[in-house]
Amino acid sequence: MNYFQIFGFTEQYELDVHKLADIYQTLQKKVHPDKFAHASSQEQLVAVKRSTLINDAYQTLKHPLKRAQYLLTLRESDQPNEQASFSDNSFLMRQMELHEMLDDVKHANDHEAAILSYAAVLNTGFEELALEMHTLLDENSIQSNLLAGDKLRKLKFYQKLRVDLDKLEDQLFNDD
Amino acid sequence: MAYSEKVIDHYENPRNVGSMDKNDPQVATGMVGAPACGDVMKLQLKINADGIIEDAKFKTYGCGSAIASSSLVTEWVKGKSIDEAGKIKNTAIAEELALPPVKIHCSILAEDAIKAAIEDYRSKTA
Repeated sequence: MNYFQIFGFTEQYELDVHKLADIYQTLQKKVHPDKFAHASSQEQLVAVKRSTLINDAYQTLKHPLKRAQYLLTLRESDQPNEQASFSDNSFLMRQMELHEMLDDVKHANDHEAAILSYAAVLNTGFEELALEMHTLLDENSIQSNLLAGDKLRKLKFYQKLRVDLDKLEDQLFNDD
Repeated sequence: MAYSEKVIDHYENPRNVGSMDKNDPQVATGMVGAPACGDVMKLQLKINADGIIEDAKFKTYGCGSAIASSSLVTEWVKGKSIDEAGKIKNTAIAEELALPPVKIHCSILAEDAIKAAIEDYRSKTA
């Protein structure tokens, strides 16, 4: 059973995360250790394994980028090695600029305003790519899946910037 | 994770940080990124008419190992011909900096940055 099947979902990118969370709760209740307190150790082990599987599936599907990655794996799309360098020049130039802008946020007079406007810039870039990836994943051809993988790798750079921004935010407001 | 002394030295005192004019015909620019960790590395080489690298600058956004790898590479390529620089292997970088296995990709990124810069130079002079 793959992660989508566990939750009774169609194998596609679009997914209702609220429904996912609801089903997750229901499924986890069924395998809760309390229910197996008097069961055989064999049955307890099966329940624990089942619980771990449901949890892995949930963590993967609820995160859009992990979900896309998983979908591409299911489709056996032939993607470059995760460790391989990425060399889309204009995209990387833009990433450099975004990092430089983040440095500027650090030294802004009004941190709160600078963070808000920077977050908006990141979101715009992220959402644009996510939408393109979504369309490509829906098309589901060998070629479109390859291109979706490219969008996914680009989204990971944006994800990193989001994490960096969160860290900076913590840093700035703890120092205040 | 514990960084080696050499990584810490390059991280705290990075050599040759900066930018050159990418439109200068003598300047080759190599841009590479690692999707797995979101690192971005820019390596620029100033190459003279004899194909010798006279100067090198880098700018890297990433972890300590990525910064150290690119800093080290700028030291190594200076004075080398582009052919010699193109032969620098990531294993040599990883060994010099004593990178742990999980950080090997940082040295690969630095090797790829040299290659990307050389490719940029060749496309400029072609």
